Amino acid sequence: MSSMASIVETKELVQTVVFATVAGIGVTAIFSVAIWGAARFTDLSQEERRPAAALAAGVAALALLAVLAAVVGGVIVMTSK
Amino acid sequence: MTSDVILVLVIGTALAFDFTNGFHDTANVVATSISTGAARPQVAIAVASLLNFAGAFISISVAATVANDVVDSGVITPTIVFAGLIGAIAWNLVTWYFGLPSSSSHALIGGVVGSAVAASGFDVVIAEGLLGKVLIPAVVAPLLAFLVAGASIGLSYRIVGRQRPGIVSRGFKYGQVVSGGLLALAHGTNDAQKTMGVITLALIANGSLGAGADPPVWVIASSALAIALGTYSGGWRIIKTTGTRIIKMDAAQGFTSQGAGAAVILASTHFGFPLSTTHVINGGVMGAGAAKRLSAVRWGVAGNIVVAWVLTLPAAAAIGALAYGFTSLFGSGAVGPVVVTVLALAAIVGAFVRRAARGAPVPVQSEGGARA
Repeated sequence: MSSMASIVETKELVQTVVFATVAGIGVTAIFSVAIWGAARFTDLSQEERRPAAALAAGVAALALLAVLAAVVGGVIVMTSK
Repeated sequence: MTSDVILVLVIGTALAFDFTNGFHDTANVVATSISTGAARPQVAIAVASLLNFAGAFISISVAATVANDVVDSGVITPTIVFAGLIGAIAWNLVTWYFGLPSSSSHALIGGVVGSAVAASGFDVVIAEGLLGKVLIPAVVAPLLAFLVAGASIGLSYRIVGRQRPGIVSRGFKYGQVVSGGLLALAHGTNDAQKTMGVITLALIANGSLGAGADPPVWVIASSALAIALGTYSGGWRIIKTTGTRIIKMDAAQGFTSQGAGAAVILASTHFGFPLSTTHVINGGVMGAGAAKRLSAVRWGVAGNIVVAWVLTLPAAAAIGALAYGFTSLFGSGAVGPVVVTVLALAAIVGAFVRRAARGAPVPVQSEGGARA
């Protein structure tokens, strides 16, 4: 078992799994929140509920910024070795 | 002089492989964007080419693995590398001809391992490197992409499920511009490096570089250019298989499968795992489809792809071994590689001519056909 563990680069493999899972699911979820915010903004604007629409727009903008930051940060971290 | 001729043939063949890698593998990168209507085929392929070129410059971890961790570079000769490349190109052409998205990466590694074993026996294989850095990641990566894409699309549908489909679909199509670009960049970082690794291995075998050396800049630049040109040449048949035959995708599924694929490839590249973009993106596509509805995945097509994956390493190894045996019939000089190169070129031209006579571009899904 231990010799198998030494052949397989367990630590690197686990880190790969963790990063890919967190980044893949996290970025999609945050981007979905951005789309949700944009959709709510459109609906609430049409209903002339301006404060709620502004809040939805803020959520969408923040989520979009978070996605961009995650993508740029992820690329920099993953390609720097 | 003889060894220099063989080295030039190896480098030319490696770059030709890189070109085939571009039109064979990178089609998978743009397939989802095209099939959901997020990007026009010509634009998607042109952008993917540029990003593949850029991606090739940002890491050399995978190149180091291919050059030093799979076979013993001390006993490798340029002729062994040449025969391995022939095995990989031959397998790539066969799978491309039949429109099967198999792994160029595993074809390359299988070809080199097969020719090395034919030349020097099984002792030349570095079992730890082959198992730990190639075979196990090869199994883990597509499964990981499948699970990540499945979980992502489930979460995504929960978040946007009650919103109007039109705006949601448009949003994910915009998102696909970024996720598709990221996937192309990831592809360049991982796949172009395999050619760099093989050329570096040949340079080490020829005595032009010391053992354990990194790829020189000209190797990186030429590999980047070859994969970018191959990408631009397109891979329409495989785009069709991945983009429309495995599942009928909506924009959200396209985005999540590309996002999952990019995350898995970039993480693997960081740790020097030379995995297959093809495996990963197809795993992501199937995950995104299966999470919505198991029957959405055309499991028959998916099964054919899995069979091609399983066959790739042994088939490329067998062809690599045969290519080495055939090359050796002409002695240890440059005659064997020259004859095999001429035969390989004739086969490539023949395959292209036959395919060009039968191939057709991918039909782009209409606006109304893309749902979220």
